[in-house]
Amino acid sequence: MASSPLPPPDTATARTRGAARELWRAVAGRVARTAAGVHRTWRRSLQFRVVTITLVASSVLVGGFAYLIADKITSILLESAKTDVKLRLESGADYATKQVALYNQPQEAQLQETIEGTVNYLAGGDPQQTSGVVVVITAQDFPVIQSRTAPAVDGVQRLISPELREAVADGNVASQIATGRLTGERTKYLAYGSPVPTRFGQIELYYLVPLARQDATAADARATVVATGVALVVLLGLLAALVTRLVVNPVRVAARTAQRLSAGLLDQRMVVNGEDDLALLAASFNQMATNLQRQILRLEEMSRLQRRFTSDVSHELRTPLTTVRMAADLIFAERDGFDPAVARSAELLQAELDRFEELLTDLLEISRFDAGFAMLDAEPTDLVPIVHRVVERLTGLAERVGVPIEVDLPEHEVIAEVDPRRVERVLRNLVGNAVEHGEGRPVVIRLGADETAVAITVRDHGVGLKPGEEKLVFNRFWRADPSRARQTGGTGLGLSISLEDARLHGGWLEAWGAPGQGAQFRLTLPARAGDRLTTSPLRLVPEDARLPYGGPGDAAPLTIGPAPGGALAIGPAPAREPDAAGAEVPS
Amino acid sequence: MRVRFVAGVLCGALATVAFTGCGIPERSEVQIDERREPATEAGSVSAWSKEPPSPSNSGTDSEAFVRDFLSAAAGEPDRAYDRVKQFVAPEFKSRMQDKRGSEVELTVVRLTDAPVITNNVDRSAAVTISVQQVGVLRADGRLVPPVSTETTYEFGLRSASPAGTADDGGGFYITDPPNLLLLSDTALRDYYEPQAVYFWNSDRTRLVPDQRYLPLTVPTERRLNEVVKWLVDGPSDWLSTGAVGLPDRTELINNATGGNGRWEVNLDMPGDDRTRADQFVTQLAWSLPDLDGKLELKVRNNSIVVADLAERRSRALYTLQEGPRRYCVYEGAVHPLEIAGEPGGTVPLDPGANRNVVSAGLARSGGKILAALVVTGSDGQRLSVGTGPDPVTAFKKGPVHTAIGRPVWLRAAGTEQPRGLVVAGGRLYRFDQNAQMTPIALNLPPAPVNAVAASLDGQRIAVVVGGLLYVAALNLAGGGVTVGPPRRVATSLTSISAVDWGDENRLIVAGSAGRPAIYEVSVDGAVQTPLKDDTGAKVTHLSTYPVNPTIPVPSGAFMYEANGVAYRGSPVEQIQRGEVGLVTPPPSGVRPGNPSAPFFLY
Repeated sequence: MASSPLPPPDTATARTRGAARELWRAVAGRVARTAAGVHRTWRRSLQFRVVTITLVASSVLVGGFAYLIADKITSILLESAKTDVKLRLESGADYATKQVALYNQPQEAQLQETIEGTVNYLAGGDPQQTSGVVVVITAQDFPVIQSRTAPAVDGVQRLISPELREAVADGNVASQIATGRLTGERTKYLAYGSPVPTRFGQIELYYLVPLARQDATAADARATVVATGVALVVLLGLLAALVTRLVVNPVRVAARTAQRLSAGLLDQRMVVNGEDDLALLAASFNQMATNLQRQILRLEEMSRLQRRFTSDVSHELRTPLTTVRMAADLIFAERDGFDPAVARSAELLQAELDRFEELLTDLLEISRFDAGFAMLDAEPTDLVPIVHRVVERLTGLAERVGVPIEVDLPEHEVIAEVDPRRVERVLRNLVGNAVEHGEGRPVVIRLGADETAVAITVRDHGVGLKPGEEKLVFNRFWRADPSRARQTGGTGLGLSISLEDARLHGGWLEAWGAPGQGAQFRLTLPARAGDRLTTSPLRLVPEDARLPYGGPGDAAPLTIGPAPGGALAIGPAPAREPDAAGAEVPS
Repeated sequence: MRVRFVAGVLCGALATVAFTGCGIPERSEVQIDERREPATEAGSVSAWSKEPPSPSNSGTDSEAFVRDFLSAAAGEPDRAYDRVKQFVAPEFKSRMQDKRGSEVELTVVRLTDAPVITNNVDRSAAVTISVQQVGVLRADGRLVPPVSTETTYEFGLRSASPAGTADDGGGFYITDPPNLLLLSDTALRDYYEPQAVYFWNSDRTRLVPDQRYLPLTVPTERRLNEVVKWLVDGPSDWLSTGAVGLPDRTELINNATGGNGRWEVNLDMPGDDRTRADQFVTQLAWSLPDLDGKLELKVRNNSIVVADLAERRSRALYTLQEGPRRYCVYEGAVHPLEIAGEPGGTVPLDPGANRNVVSAGLARSGGKILAALVVTGSDGQRLSVGTGPDPVTAFKKGPVHTAIGRPVWLRAAGTEQPRGLVVAGGRLYRFDQNAQMTPIALNLPPAPVNAVAASLDGQRIAVVVGGLLYVAALNLAGGGVTVGPPRRVATSLTSISAVDWGDENRLIVAGSAGRPAIYEVSVDGAVQTPLKDDTGAKVTHLSTYPVNPTIPVPSGAFMYEANGVAYRGSPVEQIQRGEVGLVTPPPSGVRPGNPSAPFFLY
């Protein structure tokens, strides 16, 4: 043992500690899992919440009441016992006072007999018929007088505590509950003491009354109260569960019905039972659903008719247009032989027919979107060549209007699950618009990507957009300046179609613009088809954009001052004298 | 995690508190209700001045020391031995064997002479006291007849100062003490109070007084307790023929208590006899004549009787219709005496019968007069007895005797069967209304009976047999008269010739104390007081009206006849001829006789 280099107890302790930790961890894990489950249920189930709250609240309330009642019962029992004992004690003390009043000295032989007789008398005389009450007379101040107990039992001294003795010897009527064993089993006793005045001083009379009956009654009462309380709490819980179920069930049905309605099952209805509030809810819900259904059907019908009309018109126009086109092409080809004015007309005719054709194509495309026939043909595609292709296509136009196109692309390929045809169309549209509105300043195309999304921004430095126009640009046939001449002859549907394409991908198409600062459009698409977008890899507002009021510029101070209409206005601080500024701003 | 743990612990604690906190606690704080009044102050110190003297009381007077020694046992019996042992030299203390409680007995003696103290050379002395044994005073206040016959006691005396010093200031010590507690009769008189307690006679119609002694040290509050204990213990032995106590196994539960006019006695009495309890209250009321207020008698804690003690005493103890009237025999006839300041009376006898009277005994009973006359005839003396309303006309004559003493009526016998006692020819007889005389046997050594007297209650007699005084109880059941065992009354008088009852527990006795004298002697002989030191001649006839609470008269209403001359007392004066009423003036020349054989009618 002594030669052992490592004391085994340490190992054992460590092992025990490790096991305990394991156990603790297991228990904690189990508890945590349970808690999580409970938490989940708590969040999901209104019924569970109501029942739990009811149980907790009623437990607290019923527990409090039960405590109060049990406490009250106990104190009443104790009080009545005390009152009884006190009455007995008082009459006993009076009796003892009278009995010992005959003696002038504690040494008198008859005094001892009298004390014995008194104790026996007060204890009921007959030792066979004891009620468990023990009567004791002691003489703290007179050792010559022996303590007497009736019925004669041992251990009385233990039940009368020194504090009680002191209080009674001090001339007080005092009581205390003490527990001890006098005649058989351990019992609680109420020890009540009173001084007994005599001619030679004071002796003390004690009653020791067993509280077994009171204790049993109190325990009974407590058990009854607790049982009643538990039953009440359970009942309340059941009731809460029942009531909640009554309320929640129709709500659940309503929720389910609403879900189905929102899923398009417009003929779903709730069952109406009775005439109560829930029935009213169901009836109202059904009414609403019916109205909604009717409205939706009507609108659908109208929309369908409109789309159909557009589609039909487009289709119907295409056939004569083809004929007109053929005639116009013929005339255009022969224009050199015409009068210059006629030739010029033929050229105009040709150009307008081109626009007309484009317009019809766009209309057909948008009616396809409206009809919901647009299908996404997504495949993993590298976006870099697409950008290059678009730039190449528009290089001619850009050169014509004198707008340089700058491309900022990552060096590696940017793969995303997209429909390349649609993306290219969107880009063509955006870059075309930028070139068109470039006003000779460069157009910047930037491609960015992260794990979840890819983004392309197209920045121009033209006249820009006024506040509020960022949303309007996507409206069909919207023009910033209706009077402005079209150079490229756009149809007014390009951005609408682009927006639809972006939506079809589950992506975003957003615009930013400020007067005099140009505009920037950003196309953000999820890297994998079907994913939800949360952020975009590129900023919508370009880095070189200035704040609306001109911005703080080169870290110039701002001033906050009154503005018309009681508002606060924030703007750049006016220029000051250097020393004045130094005086106001010490730092 | 920690928060949850704390919350769990808190919930557990709360639940524990909720389930255990509202029960009766195992131990509580001391709860003080009120302060009681401080203890009552020490009892009356006056009682303590009645303590017998301590050894240092007598100083250097050795005789006073001896007398104090003979008083030392007086007082409460518990500490009698302690008190006596203070007188005893330390080396002899162990010789006296202590008795405790009810076993303590005091030997009451009457010193017939002053103690004889013989000084020895070694500053010690031998003491011899000559005594007459009076009785034994028990712890319960009874003075029972003496058991010892010793007439002298001897013991030693030495100075309490250490040997070698000449100083006697340190007092004395008794050496070689007798192994009993001696008490002189003077100490009995000085440190005890004679107390009459009453018991019912056998048919529970009358109360019979019994004599007890209560130490003066007993405080007033305990008097009731002591008296109740006496009553519970029953009458004295010699009275048991005529008086009965409470039922057997009757006991006093604890002490009889009370104060401020409210008294409480709790008895453990077999049976549930309300009449008995009620009679007990009457007994108690008469036994404690100074006690006023309400007395509650409980039998085993049940209140049986609540009675006003004074009201109980308002009913007469004795059936006396009117005060005593004095009569005498004058010129062979009964005549009333007309004493100044006292009501006179008529002779309740038919003049025809009122002749040749030697002595007479008259008594009132109900509305009737009981008359017993001793009349002389040619052949001797006869008893002539008549009963009836005043005046008594019908008389019957009894047998002839040579000499018949004064007849006495027994008042307890009632009107239907009146009975009396008379001494005739040295024997005791009972007579009835037909003058039938039946001899009564006394349980005594044969000796001539000299005189007999009946007490006012009629249950006790005093009888003089062979010049010695006895008292005895009577049982009148069944129309007869049974005399219980007589009890000798120790008195220093000798050759006793006449006796009558002076009050309930005292006898007026005429005898010889060197010279003829009349003494008042208590019924147990313990106390004797001379009433007339020298009567000049032997008293042949003595009659008294006993002092009683029913119709009180000035004490000492007694009359006697000595040497043919009648006297009345006290102060003792001769009864003059002119005080005899209803006398026809005698013819001149005839020497008028003297009034004789005076007696009281009551």
